[in-house]
Amino acid sequence: MKSAVQPVEAPPAPSALTAVPARRARRPAGLITATAVIAALLAVPLLFLLIEAYRAGWSAVATEIFRPLSGSLLWNTVRLTVVVTVACAVLGTAAAWLVERTNLPGRRIWAVLLVIPLAIPDFVVSFGWNSLFLWVQGFQGAVLVMTLAVYPLVYLPVAASLRAADPGQEEVARSLGVGRVATFVRITLGQAKGAILGGCLLVVLVLLAEYGAFEMLGYRTFTTEIFTNFNQPSAVPTACALSLILVAISLVVLAGEGWLRGRGRVSRTGPMAPRVAPPLRLGRWTIPAVAAVLALLVAALGVPIYASVYWIFQGGMPAIGGVPMLDAAWHTALYGVCAAAADTLLALPVAVLAIRHTSAARHFLERSTYLVLAMPGVVIALALTYFTEQYLHSIGYQTAPLLVLCYAIMFFPLALVGVKAAIARAPANLEDVARSLGHGRLAAFSRVTLRLAAPGLVAAFCLVFLEVVTELTATLILVPTGVQTLATQFWAYQSNLSYAQAAPFALVMIGIAALPSIALGRFFYRSATARIET
Amino acid sequence: MRQLTVTGLHKAFGTHPVLTGLDLDVPAGSFTAILGPSGSGKTTLLRLLAGFERADAGSIAIGDRVVDGPGTSQVPPERRQIGYVPQEGALFPHLTVAANVGFGLPARRRAARTVELLEAVGLAGMGDRYPHQLSGGQQQRVAVARALAIRPEVVLLDEPFASLDAHLRASLRADVLEICRAAGTTAILVTHDQDEALSMADRIAVLRDGRIVQYAAPHELYTRPADPALARFVGDANIITGQLTAAAGQLGMVATILGSLPVSPGSGVTAQPGPVTVLIRPEQLEIVAGGPDAADQHDCLAGRVIACDYYGHDAVVRVRPDGQPGNDEVIVRTTGGPQLPPGAPVLVRARGPVIAWASS
Repeated sequence: MKSAVQPVEAPPAPSALTAVPARRARRPAGLITATAVIAALLAVPLLFLLIEAYRAGWSAVATEIFRPLSGSLLWNTVRLTVVVTVACAVLGTAAAWLVERTNLPGRRIWAVLLVIPLAIPDFVVSFGWNSLFLWVQGFQGAVLVMTLAVYPLVYLPVAASLRAADPGQEEVARSLGVGRVATFVRITLGQAKGAILGGCLLVVLVLLAEYGAFEMLGYRTFTTEIFTNFNQPSAVPTACALSLILVAISLVVLAGEGWLRGRGRVSRTGPMAPRVAPPLRLGRWTIPAVAAVLALLVAALGVPIYASVYWIFQGGMPAIGGVPMLDAAWHTALYGVCAAAADTLLALPVAVLAIRHTSAARHFLERSTYLVLAMPGVVIALALTYFTEQYLHSIGYQTAPLLVLCYAIMFFPLALVGVKAAIARAPANLEDVARSLGHGRLAAFSRVTLRLAAPGLVAAFCLVFLEVVTELTATLILVPTGVQTLATQFWAYQSNLSYAQAAPFALVMIGIAALPSIALGRFFYRSATARIET
Repeated sequence: MRQLTVTGLHKAFGTHPVLTGLDLDVPAGSFTAILGPSGSGKTTLLRLLAGFERADAGSIAIGDRVVDGPGTSQVPPERRQIGYVPQEGALFPHLTVAANVGFGLPARRRAARTVELLEAVGLAGMGDRYPHQLSGGQQQRVAVARALAIRPEVVLLDEPFASLDAHLRASLRADVLEICRAAGTTAILVTHDQDEALSMADRIAVLRDGRIVQYAAPHELYTRPADPALARFVGDANIITGQLTAAAGQLGMVATILGSLPVSPGSGVTAQPGPVTVLIRPEQLEIVAGGPDAADQHDCLAGRVIACDYYGHDAVVRVRPDGQPGNDEVIVRTTGGPQLPPGAPVLVRARGPVIAWASS
């Protein structure tokens, strides 16, 4: 309706969320201090590594770096990373598209099952294939196993972004005369680009850090080589040199991902009535599509679980459970809960600063915490080990607090991603309203922001817990003396080829990790659909 | 009695000044509108009043209590007794309607007061719903009820009707006005919509470049705007040049392309003859019946219709004067009548008195 007297200028009133983006009552001194302390803590391992390299002598380290061995390890690492990342991008995106955008029968069930491989440790997938099929080793074995183990890292974010993307954009493209396939490439993939890149980044970082699976398959990378060298005093320069190369590669990958991502933003453009895309009808492609998803699940889920059950029966049902199992499960859960709680709490101030108080300097501070991503677990564990040996006379080495600290440093970026998403769900102006209604700063934060952020905080907690339960490399280095976790106990049996004894530990690990991974799948599903429901 | 006193308020974000010495006195129980274009600092002013931001200089007092100012510690938002209705409501999505309304109330008074307020805003019986189950207008009613529940001394409304469609906006405006009057609450409404300000407020403060340029009752603001820019901002305006001729009795006369018109006594212009800027509202102009053949063509402007925007209850006709460089077009508001086709020759006549400012 037109009014006779138009407002002089009447742009659409900006939403409350965008109108006052980051202007808050005062400089958040407490938050900045907390974030700076956390960023410093996260930088500690890198610092130790550099100190250790310095003590070992730069020339010795440099000699190690330019050894032929480095070249062959680099070739091994790079070719595996490229092939697996491309495979995961294709598999993960295709699976996500099938589940989210087509009328694939049983979509809801696939959506849950496709995430579960996240709960199966890479070295258990490796165990499953390697113990059943001897040909699964070396390069092609590593490609197969790692692709099956980590594709959910692409699947999850891509599925979420496809669900949240505006189908209207595809419809507009079609109305402008762009064909079905071209629309998929230009619009749908464009909408999912950020998610695909983010997923691929995680895949690369996992591959760079992986130890157990490669050790089992006899594939040598920087990480396996560092692990072999770390506890030989004579090999300190080697370990340092290889670690520095690994960190450098990770940094290049991180920078490359940021560069590729560019400045484009993919989202709905306004508070329009959101719609769900009508699913594409698969027609005669239905059966091949179901077969493909089924094959993927059999390979990624079926084989490891079948292998575990198979070896238990092969061993004539040895004492499953018993004290060692309970003890290992208890310690695994304990470390997981401690590290997850610590990370969720530590991520809170950093996330609030990042979401609500943006400025160039604070943005840099927040981004700096992601540098830890460039530090594979083996490098962090190594740095902490050298530090305790060198400066604390090994006090603290192989104790529970140091292990939990190591986990907390390793998985902080994961927690931060979840906590940031959680805080973003609680707009700052709701807290303003709560304060105008007579609640103090803390009361407003806990009654409004924390309540709204709770699902996301739980998700962050689950993510870290899941990672700790399935972590092997750093755990092997730092596990307290006389204690076994599920992963280390499994590893010990597996290394002795006692598959029947190892298998129950694999199953329990999968069981413990599956619950949080299902919860995570549901959280991502909800956060992507939340805007559609409300 | 003054309810809210703002003196010399300054606020900048980084190097970008937003408020530059703003003064405002709001009487108790009044409904005051802060009118200004986007980016004029309206929302910043509200956030300073509510206590979400701290002023760089100047002071804010609620009643006798200085809540922000030099030498006093800033009173935090939760102790200001200021109700705040943000843009788009900002209801707590995890709480029911009743829990939203009762959010700021102590437990023992919560139930009764919540029922009372839901009734006042016409949402009785809806307490168990969640915000996303309500329409946009209902959400805004809940936001108003939530702010009024704590019996605030002042309630701040930050463009609360902007996201609603025109019909809903009109009915909600009337209801909010009534609720605030019934509660006797001092209300401050921030808006960029002059219709909203003119129709709701007792007093309107026009904000421009970080300060108040005019603070007056709606009628005075419309009929005696402080400068030509303000005249254009509040309502449609024909701003034309004229020559002030010798004073004739009390009223001066001004010669314009629309003939000789009396100058309103409220004009700021001096009695010195000379060039002036003249404001003629579109409704002060009329299309002379009979067109170019009209019998009485004295003090009329001949022109041709450029376009006619027809609204049903009235129409706005844009006319290009014949042979008059400098004055591109005049806007005439007519009541009813047949639509005039573009290009039709017309005669336009003005009804005085008019506002004139000395040309700068």
